[in-house]
This record gives sequence, structure tokens and C-alpha cells, in this order.
Amino acid sequence: MYGLTKGTAEEEEEEEKNDLMYHEIRVADGVGGWRSYGIDPGEFSSFLMKTCERLVHCVNFNPQRPVNLLAYSYCELLEQKKPILGSSTACVLVLNRENSTVYTANIGDSGFMVVRRGEIVHKSEEQQHYFNTPFQLSLPPPGHDHNVLSDSPDSADTLSFPVKDGDVILVATDGVFDNVPEKLLLDMLKEVEGVTDPVKLQMTANSLALMARSLSFDSDFMSPFAINARRNNINATGGKPDDITVVLATVAI
Amino acid sequence: MSQSSATNSEDDSKTANNESVAVDSVIDFKGKHFGLESTSQDSDDYLVSGSEGTMIDVERFCHADYRIEQYAHSVLDFSSQYGIDLSISYTAPNITGRPSKYPEYGDFPQTFAMRTYGAWWDRAPSRLKEIQPQNVSEIPAEDFIAKTWICLWEDKEFYTKPIYSPSRARRFTPPLKRIQLPTKTIRLEFNHQRLHYYTEIDAVLLSGKKFNTRNMQHLLDYYERQRKGSILCKLQNMKFRPICRDNYQNRLQHFLMHDLDKFISVLSDVQIQSMQRQQQQQLQSSNTDEMKISKIGLKNMPFEIMLKIFSYLDLKSLFRVGAVSRFLYDVSTHPLLYSELNLKPYWHLASTELLSTLAKRATILKKLDMSWCGCTVQTISPTEFKKFIQQRGDSLTHLRLNSTKFLNASCIDTLGIVCDNLKELSLRNCSPSPPLLNFSCLANLKNLERLDLFQTVIESDLLLTMLENNPKLKHLNLAFCSVAVNMDDVAQHIAKYNKQLISLDMWKAHFLSAQGLLVLSNCHNLEEIDFGWCLREASLGDSLREFLTQCTKLKKLFLAAVRGLTDRDLEYIANLCPNLEQLDLMGVLGISKERYIDILQKCAKLQLLDLCFCDNIMDYDVALWSRTFKVDIKSCQVPNDFR
Repeated sequence: MYGLTKGTAEEEEEEEKNDLMYHEIRVADGVGGWRSYGIDPGEFSSFLMKTCERLVHCVNFNPQRPVNLLAYSYCELLEQKKPILGSSTACVLVLNRENSTVYTANIGDSGFMVVRRGEIVHKSEEQQHYFNTPFQLSLPPPGHDHNVLSDSPDSADTLSFPVKDGDVILVATDGVFDNVPEKLLLDMLKEVEGVTDPVKLQMTANSLALMARSLSFDSDFMSPFAINARRNNINATGGKPDDITVVLATVAI
Repeated sequence: MSQSSATNSEDDSKTANNESVAVDSVIDFKGKHFGLESTSQDSDDYLVSGSEGTMIDVERFCHADYRIEQYAHSVLDFSSQYGIDLSISYTAPNITGRPSKYPEYGDFPQTFAMRTYGAWWDRAPSRLKEIQPQNVSEIPAEDFIAKTWICLWEDKEFYTKPIYSPSRARRFTPPLKRIQLPTKTIRLEFNHQRLHYYTEIDAVLLSGKKFNTRNMQHLLDYYERQRKGSILCKLQNMKFRPICRDNYQNRLQHFLMHDLDKFISVLSDVQIQSMQRQQQQQLQSSNTDEMKISKIGLKNMPFEIMLKIFSYLDLKSLFRVGAVSRFLYDVSTHPLLYSELNLKPYWHLASTELLSTLAKRATILKKLDMSWCGCTVQTISPTEFKKFIQQRGDSLTHLRLNSTKFLNASCIDTLGIVCDNLKELSLRNCSPSPPLLNFSCLANLKNLERLDLFQTVIESDLLLTMLENNPKLKHLNLAFCSVAVNMDDVAQHIAKYNKQLISLDMWKAHFLSAQGLLVLSNCHNLEEIDFGWCLREASLGDSLREFLTQCTKLKKLFLAAVRGLTDRDLEYIANLCPNLEQLDLMGVLGISKERYIDILQKCAKLQLLDLCFCDNIMDYDVALWSRTFKVDIKSCQVPNDFR
């Protein structure tokens, strides 16, 4: 399984191989609003991802329950001497080679998409409380507990599905899904079906990210974000500038 | 400052003068070989030549063909860790595998850190006195390998060498004794008495020669023989062993006639020589003077004097001296010498046989410490222990069974039923997994003054019942209490039933609320309290003030990671705690510098102040305060490590 990434300031993504029995991909998107409290929004998501990585190597890692990764990572936050504050969405995928099944856990509006033979076969759902307010794991500073949204790792959406050789898996933060229409994503992902060349995959991931970026700054374009906003009675047009992270993988069994 | 180092050896304090807190970890090395394939083997030689694999040799010279290195694979047991059980921060499993942070220096949660450091816990109100202190040798830290435990290395210069306070990561490589025994389990004992602050260990690397398993049995036999007595040993190494083949009767005759003399003479060789020397000396002295040799020896001493003398002997010497003569045997087996038994320093020798021997002698046993005995190698049977307790347990007042692995449900039941005179019960680190132990008979104990359940899982109901039944309780340790135990309930019970409490440890127990803190102010005798990582409430309100107002005798107050503390709370600490000696404020953010100065000025008896991970203070502030107020102040800044 090949995974390719492009990270930015507030997001972290990792690809993990573990004894070649299973592979893991994850992204996390830190909530930017914490800057006004003097908290670096990237710290929380970084920690979450780094801890997931460490937990994957632990003895009691259960590849069929990636939601446990999120839960344990979240608990580890409480064990740090220097408190790590902030909030983040997260999306974790684990491929189990033995039964060619992917297990996922998603909390928030990051997500994944699986493309096979030109069609989207699986897609994650955005978890939102209300418009533009995704579910998030958070650790607020003491005293701010009441005005900060904090969702429990148990509220993560979990899905599992079988995959076939050649499937393309895209895991990305909302910066991609909010700016790039689905059809466009599909077109790009169709082209890398069955591709195992890491250079080609990296190039595709790069262009996806770049495309999301340029669309986000286009003020006239009817992005998925704008469409959604209108459905919620908010008059918005154009893209949504945001941090963009793309992890692209193909299944090669 | 905390340090990250490859191996270290400093965490457990055992001295004749101080009390001790012992911590160690047993590490299992399995299977992680580094690129060595064994191809040809020499049957008598333990060396194996490998064909492929590049070795990173620890000592920097090339032994590439047969030397292997292994990082620890798993931790079998440990007596103390900083973090909570399932966490990966500061816990024992972090010592396995390759080092994650070395050679970086700093405070990293990816390492293994022990719960305590330095001599501070020995100065706290909850300090323990060592049972049978003469058993404790001067050697405070040792490394052992398993099965027949062999000491690989001892720190003999612990008390003489200067205190080493580096500010960088270190790699500690003690010169290990060369042994021929194959091993994959190693036990590290850390003595932290001279440590400045928490010391973190990143990895343990064991390097040695690969072993040919065909020779394994041969070697193990050899070591078994070594363990047995010297006569048997000599017999087996004898050159005069008769060869009993076809003509064995003739051979035997031959042996008896010719070789037996030689056989005996070898055995008594040494004795004859020494006797000869003695005779020579006596001849000389009798030739010179008429010296009046006194005919009064040890055996003419009154029995009580002998008992007094023997009471200074450690257990090993006591057994040895009993083998000298009938008289000395009678003295050395007198029950008065066995009213206190400490088998902790003999953890590697403790066995069922020892226990049954001691059972015969210790008829008025008052204090027993069997901590660490029976670890990994099953040398003590639970049945034997149970019998021991049934025979001798009714007079027991102090019992310590920390980190023992032979306890099962019926042992604990017996304890509860038989040992009703117990004043001190210490069951640290006694949670087997899966947790099978049923502690409910412990509810029968009604005279407890000290109860130590550090790192031991106990059912909530049982704990509450025990609190109700023991009004004389003075010291209670519930550190790492499981999630199932609600600390607020515990606090309510303590406030109602255990008003004589002097020390309470709730480190990393699961969550005390401000209300719980408030009710604890009923215990006016409290001198020591540890709320580290336990008081999670975002705001404490007035509860801390109430608590401090009522508990004026406080000497030790640990509030590590109590993030809800505010400037006002620190003001209360400064004004209401005149007797404060140790204060831990690690990880408490948002406090202004003036508060710290206030505390330092008003708490005249302060000796230790932990300000690590606090903000608004600079290194030079800390240095200045430390000098001015003569307080040991800990502070450290961590490098931002998550990028």
C-alpha cells in the first residue's frame, strides 16, 4: 500500500505500516479558532497523530477497532505534564491484509473516499453539530469547559468494508471536500486506479491538493461549501480557504 | 532536571540508616535478534559463527560474527512507574524496543520514569521503617539475570562516589560479570536515593554471545551443581570416580583399597593443612612462653547475651552460624530472633523450603516482609505460604507483600481470617492479570493503621468497607487506584470513619472533585497528602481554602497537574500552611510569579518545591529563589516535541 501526503500547518497525516499485517492511514485537522486563546491549534492534532502512531505499535492494538486508537490517544492527552489544549477532527483507516478489509473511524468533517472502477464505492459522512461546526475531540483550558464543544471518541462513525486490488483510497481534510466537487475528485482518482508507482501517486496527490487550493481562493466558483451554505440559508459563494491535507493510497494485494 | 538515558541504575533506596522504597523492573528479552544466523557450531564452544548480518557492536571492536544485541522485548513486572497502567506516557512498557528519544535530553513521555525520586519520600510523614534492617546489605543496586538468579553487577561505590548531575542524556554500561549461562530475562534494581529529579529511561540493550542450545542442558546442570553444597560439588568433580563398567565389583574393590585414601585425603586436605599450621603455631607459642590460654569461649556465655549478639546478625549469617555447633544452633533457632523477618533482600533465594524452615522457628512472628519474593520463577507455592500464615499469622502486626506473584485468592482469604492483629498491611503492586484476586476477607481486619494499595486494583465496595472498619487508620496509599473506584465516595468515608488519618496518597487515582476535597477537611490530623493528577476539577472554588484551614499540620502537599489551581489558591497555601515542607505544583499554569515568592517567604520550613512545567518563571528566578530561601526548587522546560 502506498500512501502519499501533503501536510500543512494545522494538520497532520501519517501512513503506517506495521509488520505488513495491516496498514494505517490517518489525518487530523486542528480547529483554528484556538489561536485567539493563545493556543497553537496544530499541537493538539499533532499529538493525536503521533500518539496514534505509537499506539499502533503497542501490543494491544486491535486493528479492527481503529476507534480505540482515537480513544486511547485522547486519554493520553490527559497524561501529559504540559497540558495540550485545542481541538481536532480525526479520521483513521486501517487495512487488514488478512481479510482485505478496511476499518475506519471518523470524527468530524475530515473524511475518506474509496473509488473502484470509476465509481465511488464508499465515502465517509461529515459529522456536524450544525453548519461549519464539526464533531471534534477537544481539551479546553480549565474554566472554559462549558463554552467549548467536546465530543467523546465514542461518537466517531465507524465503518468497515472489503476492498479489492486496485481500489483507490483518498483520505483528506475538509479543505479538499469543501472545495473540490465530487465529480472532479472522481475524475482524478479514476486515473490512478491500480497504479502502484509512488511517483505517479505523489503527483496526483499534489495536483489534488493544488486544485483544492486554487479553487478555495476562487471567489466566484460554486464550491461544495457554498452549495451547502446556501442549503443552510447562508449566502456564500466561492471556495473556502482552509488547510489542505491529502493522503492518497491504492490497494495492492 | 529530568534526563533521558539509555540505561541507568539509581532508583531504590536501601541503607542501614534510611527507610527504603524499592523499585525495579524485570525485563524480558525475547527474540529480537539483529541479523545473525547461526550456521556452523562447535560442540564444546559456545560461539557461533554467522554468515550474514552487520553488527553494531557496543564496545566498538569487531566481534561481528558471534556477538548479538537485543533490546528489551517486554516487561514482565515492575514495582513502580510514573504513569497509569494502560497509558504509554512515562510507563514501564516504554523501556522496550529501541530508544525513542536518546540522545536527546529532556522530559519525554515516551520513556520510562519511576514514581519517586531522591530521598524526599523518606522524609515525608508516611515513611516506612525497614523490617529487620540488618538484612539489608550495603549494596543498594544490582542487576540480575533469571532462573538461577545471578548477580551481574552491583554498585559498590554508591555511597562514596560523587553525585553525578549531568544535563544531557547518558548511556550507562556497567561492566557485567561474565557468565556462561544463557539468559533472556534481566532484572534491574534502581536506587534513586541520590537522584535530583525524575530520571527517565529510554531503552535497555543487552549484548552478548549467541548461545548454542544443544549445550543448554549441560550448562544448566553445571549451574545446578554449583548451587549445591561443596561436598557434593567436590564429589562430582572428583578425579577418582570409579568407572563402573563390566568388572565393577573388582573395580570397586580396587577403589576401596587404593583410591579411597586419596579420595578422603583430597576432601580433608585443606583441613589437614590448616591443622598442621595450627599445631605449628601452638608448638611455637608453647615453646616460647607459658601463656595462659583462656578456657572460656562463646559456649560459656549466658544464653541471653548470645541472643543479644545474634540479634545483630542478618538472616544468612544466622543460618550459617547455626551450622557451627549444637549450642550455637540452639541459640540461632530461638524464636526471639525470628520475630521480625525480612526476605526482601533475599528475594532470589526465597523458596518454599526456606519458608517451611522459617515457619518452624518463627513462633512469635510479628513483622514479615516478603516483598519481591517469588517473582517470575515460581519458587514459592501459594499453599505453603497459606500454611505459613495459618501457623504463624495470628501474631503478625506488620505484613508487606509488595510485588509478590504467588498470592492467590485463598492466600488473601487466609490473611483476612488469621491476621486480625495486623496494624500494617502493604500490598503494593499486587494486581495479577487477569485480576483473579478476591480481597473480600480483608474486610475482617479491624486494627489497621497503615494500608498501602499502591498500584493494586481493589474493588470499590471492599475498599469502602475496609475504611469503615479501621478507625485507627493513619496512613493510606491509593495511588493508581482503578477507574472503578470513585474517589469522592472514598473521601466521604475517610471523612466519616478515618479521622485519625495522617497521610493520604491519591496519585493518579480517578478523579476527586472539589466536593471530595472539601469533605477531607474533616481529617484534622493530616500531615501529608498527594492529589497529583487526581483533582481534575476545572475550578476548586473554596474547597482548597476550607481544607487548608482545617488541616493545619500539613507538611507535604502534592498538587501535580491540578490545573484548576488559581492565584488565590496559592495565596491560601502561603497563608495557611506554616508547616509545609514539600510542595509540588508541577504543570499548574497561569500562576503569577508573586505567588511563588509569597509561598517561599511565608512557608519557612519549605524544603522542596516542584515547579516543573509551570509558566511565568525563568531559570534565573529559580536559581535566585533557591539560593535566597534555601529551598530545592525543581523546574524544567521541555522542548516542543510534537513537530
